[in-house]
Amino acid sequence: MTENAYQQSLLRGNLYVIWNELVKNIKSLLAYPTIIVFWAIFPVFWFIPFILQGQAFVGGLESANFAQITGTGEYIPFIVIGAVLNSYVNTLLYGIGENIRKEAYQGTLDYVLVAPCNQVYVLIGKALSESLSSTIFAVSQLTLSVLLFGMNITLGVILPVFFTIILLILGLYGMALILTAFSLMYKQSYDLSETIGYIFYIFAPVRYPIESLPNWAQILGKLIPLTYALIIVRSLILLGSDLSTVYSEVTLFLIIDVILLVTGFYLFNWMEKKTRKSGTISHY
Amino acid sequence: MVNNKTNETYSIQTINLTKRFTKKRHRGVFGFLRKNQSENKPKEKDNITVALNKVDINIRPGELFGLLGPNGSGKTTMIKCLSTILIPDEGTATINGFDINKETSMVRASLGMVVGGERTLYWKLTARDNLMYFSSLYKMKKQHAKKRIEELLETFKLSDRADERLEDYSTGMRQKVAIARALLHDPPILLLDEPTLGLDPSFSRQIRKQVRELSEKQGKTVLLTTHYMDEADQLCDRVAFINNGNIVAVDTPNRLKAMVKDKELVEIAIYCPPEDVEKHIRSLLPDVEVIKLIPGDESSGTLSRIKIIGETAEENVSAVIDMLRKKNVRIGGLNVGVPTLEDVFIKLTGTKLSEGVMA
Repeated sequence: MTENAYQQSLLRGNLYVIWNELVKNIKSLLAYPTIIVFWAIFPVFWFIPFILQGQAFVGGLESANFAQITGTGEYIPFIVIGAVLNSYVNTLLYGIGENIRKEAYQGTLDYVLVAPCNQVYVLIGKALSESLSSTIFAVSQLTLSVLLFGMNITLGVILPVFFTIILLILGLYGMALILTAFSLMYKQSYDLSETIGYIFYIFAPVRYPIESLPNWAQILGKLIPLTYALIIVRSLILLGSDLSTVYSEVTLFLIIDVILLVTGFYLFNWMEKKTRKSGTISHY
Repeated sequence: MVNNKTNETYSIQTINLTKRFTKKRHRGVFGFLRKNQSENKPKEKDNITVALNKVDINIRPGELFGLLGPNGSGKTTMIKCLSTILIPDEGTATINGFDINKETSMVRASLGMVVGGERTLYWKLTARDNLMYFSSLYKMKKQHAKKRIEELLETFKLSDRADERLEDYSTGMRQKVAIARALLHDPPILLLDEPTLGLDPSFSRQIRKQVRELSEKQGKTVLLTTHYMDEADQLCDRVAFINNGNIVAVDTPNRLKAMVKDKELVEIAIYCPPEDVEKHIRSLLPDVEVIKLIPGDESSGTLSRIKIIGETAEENVSAVIDMLRKKNVRIGGLNVGVPTLEDVFIKLTGTKLSEGVMA
């Protein structure tokens, strides 16, 4: 066998697959221009209910009781961090499974599957493109929080926060692989991802500190990668901690990520083979 | 492109290739509660469809090979097994010398595929963007991919509209992009599943010309599935008939047609066929082998056709026409004694090959 003379090296080729998947998804998304309107308006309006709610409950945007539990009295920045990180859950969990379903529906999935590249890199490209809207949302929200509520984000914090978001994306990518595997098999992952999204929303400290939950729920919450991401990022931004002070959370976060990724890869490969065998792989 | 693994005699070889599908019984939301209520449950084997049954086919390098059969005969399943989309239940196949079960990456790199027609591309992207995206899945270098895409756009006369979204293309233009995609990585083997289905006559002619050139000028091995017998007759070096997952016959179109050359053949094209027309003709010609009505679609200008094969068919044709006239059936045409691949298929299987004719 003679290799293709114009084929790329393995690493370069895989990166190129990821990049082109990302570009394709962005171009497809931008084919619907109203998405820009959503991105421009939504982050601004998103704050209003929380400001009004905070004022109604405690007469302002700071609460002594809240400060006693969380270490910070600033209610809005706490919520903003919760919302920003939770948006990654929404887009990654719902997005990838639905993206695969859409490929099957429009008939392109077969052509992705018969290409000689490793399909996992296609999924990584999909994960990155799905994360893009969350990242735009995150940057807008954090910028507005700095400008309107005096949230203090120093340059030194940006790198560890970025590192934590990468860890969150990896864990969610593992979960998304599991959901994609279900999507291949059962042609519907939306309900499952919606349920998982709600479980995350309740048991992870998105809108309230984890201490507000009963003990059994706190244990459940500590199995969720989002919980660690929230604890770490809030410690970094709101309490001025560094990564060394939250090393136990970082370690547990890494362990959960590895478990989710290994399970995700195994399940995806297993379901892919099973659906190729049953003949249902490109059904929708 | 990927070269041959060794000096293989065959580009495509299937050995006992078998694929079965289990039909799912839909029992409704609470169907699981009723699972044990029915005592006369059909056994599992009743729910199994054999899509491919121990198929053995050998296709030589550079050959244009047609797989001819009616809808649901197993043509697309065959293409999907060969392209590794589906895993066969038994048997195997080699593509360019690579085993479809063990060397999937090399099999995939060795072939280009057109299955499912126009709805297999990203309609919100341009033709160029579509081709660029798929070139990356074949790990082609960017510069080489760009050059290749320009060549293909030129070949398929799409250069002028390469930067328009596919949603603005006609069906035929999208099919050309689909074929260009299959050729991107210059594979030695092409699997084309009904490439002219739904195209107007002009685009169909263009596609058939391109396919012929790919085989003759570029030496590509082409496996073409179709239910248009004229298309297979015109294009293919050899043809295999497939019916209910079984290969019924394999040979050159001329040799296959020779199988019915000694038979008397009559084809009568008619408007609005009356009910039980086959039964009425059978009562007139009890000794002929085959009497088959092939329904047409008059709205698209395709008349229904009555095929009569067997001794005494030609000498009794006037009696059949008289009978049709008495029933006020308008006759659109009469063809006596020229066999087609469809006649062979009907003779071998007793079933019709298609309900339409090639565009």
